[in-house]
Amino acid sequence: MEKIQNKFRVVANEKLCPRFYRLSLDAKSLVKAIKPGQFIHIRVKDSLEPFFRRPFSVYRANKTADIFYEAIGPGTKILSEKKKGDELDILGPLGNSFSLPPKGTKTVVMVAGGIGVAPFLIFSDSLKNKGYDLILLYGARTKGHTFNMKDFKKNGCKVYVATDDGSVGVKGRVSQLFSKIPLDPKTTFLYTCGPNPMMAAVQAFAKENNLAGQASCEEVMACALGACLGCSIETTGGYKTVCYDGPVFDLQEVKFH
Amino acid sequence: MNLSVKIGTAVFPNPVTVASGTFGHAEKYFDLEEVKKLGAIVPKTVTLLAQKGNPPPRIVETASGMINAIGIENPGADVFIAEKLPMFKKIGVPLIISVLGHSDEQFLALIEKFNKVDGIAAIELNLSCPNLKHKVLVAQDPASTERVVSQVKKLSRHPILAKLSPNVTDISDIAAAAEAAGADGLSLINTFTAMAINTKTRRPVLGNLTGGLSGPAIKPVALHMVYRTAQRVKIPIVAMGGIRSTNDALEFLIAGATMVAVGTFNFVNPRAPLEALEGLKAYMKDNKIKDIKELIGSLQI
Repeated sequence: MEKIQNKFRVVANEKLCPRFYRLSLDAKSLVKAIKPGQFIHIRVKDSLEPFFRRPFSVYRANKTADIFYEAIGPGTKILSEKKKGDELDILGPLGNSFSLPPKGTKTVVMVAGGIGVAPFLIFSDSLKNKGYDLILLYGARTKGHTFNMKDFKKNGCKVYVATDDGSVGVKGRVSQLFSKIPLDPKTTFLYTCGPNPMMAAVQAFAKENNLAGQASCEEVMACALGACLGCSIETTGGYKTVCYDGPVFDLQEVKFH
Repeated sequence: MNLSVKIGTAVFPNPVTVASGTFGHAEKYFDLEEVKKLGAIVPKTVTLLAQKGNPPPRIVETASGMINAIGIENPGADVFIAEKLPMFKKIGVPLIISVLGHSDEQFLALIEKFNKVDGIAAIELNLSCPNLKHKVLVAQDPASTERVVSQVKKLSRHPILAKLSPNVTDISDIAAAAEAAGADGLSLINTFTAMAINTKTRRPVLGNLTGGLSGPAIKPVALHMVYRTAQRVKIPIVAMGGIRSTNDALEFLIAGATMVAVGTFNFVNPRAPLEALEGLKAYMKDNKIKDIKELIGSLQI
């Protein structure tokens, strides 16, 4: 049986824009095992502070296993200082994955907010050249949260960007871009990942227009193995763990607060 | 080298286990050959009826530890026995079942249910539970602890461990009450009542306002409580409270614990219990200790 806990070396840790980093790991076993939407749980430092590991969606699993992250708290700041050759203790891959779009789907719309864009590159890698129209709606706070999205474009995604301050793309929330979503419930399927208020807006829009989809959620995690029940969120089916029952849920199942 | 230890009539192949609520889904995530090396497995606390748990957020990271307010989310004893227990039994490691009753009657009903179940080594009573006629928890009152443990002992066909709370003036008073009531062993310590505040919103971080502090932050206090209790009682102690390494495990054994459980640190390093066990064996070999009993309570003063 494949071990879940391993040490992998950093191959690159590159700043892609003022706020976001891409870290690549020499991790063949992960690359082989990972499914789009799954995450890895990284111990950023062999010390007691920060205490928890940090969970990250896998951004791409090609030659290396990559994550895409914002250096925003004590854990991610330490991660941003990692150099090529450094070793990281990693649990993964963990959690469930995105389901394939249902039969009859023509347009796959990914709605991402900020660093919530992370799981969609690996997902679009898996969907390219399969006859879908791929649309990525990306909302960010400012220019500093936008980056070169050529990898998405290479996968055939039509990319639309909105920023809160209008410094890039349309001014306003990502909901300003909902007009790009084809409103045919039989052929359009939604995926979303980002801050809860944004996913709540996607959920409301989907409900109004009878569109189905999935949401990839985030919570503070301790074990990430479904043991501690610390990352539970409220769903229509009661509390469910983001790490084990998720991170991907039916879009209408999650109660966003 | 003999690593085996006894609690009441239960025999465990070695003294290293996991604390309740910190170990799950072994079949899916772990190399079972490795898990089989543990001295015992303690699943998450089971209550008589299902509990949905506390509203999120349920956990917060602290300096060298965490605060949790999970709210004993569990499917209830019947579902646990029917659906979860078979998986735990399949691992083949002795099981210590942690139970919590919201009344004496519930504790007894739980004991009756587990009396009908084969393949469990012992029952651990989570006494950090409400105590109807008192404002304090059962584990905060020697008389209530004695009352619950003595009733349970009369009924149970399994050895009984009383799990004690550190939120007391002198934990050894409660330990002595549990011993007098016939407990076969003690588990200590549970978590410390604690809280965290979000200074941006000036609201509590946890959905439940307060929670329990655990992890390496509490280890020195836990060690003292185990030491103090071991001086006072004769029954074996299963020690937990911030244990994360071989050295931690050794400290607790030397202080008088018969078994040691890795709890919160499982979340950081799931292999921590196995690493502690390997280190323990190496320590015994290096120090020419043939039987773990030579180590237990061997503190030199």
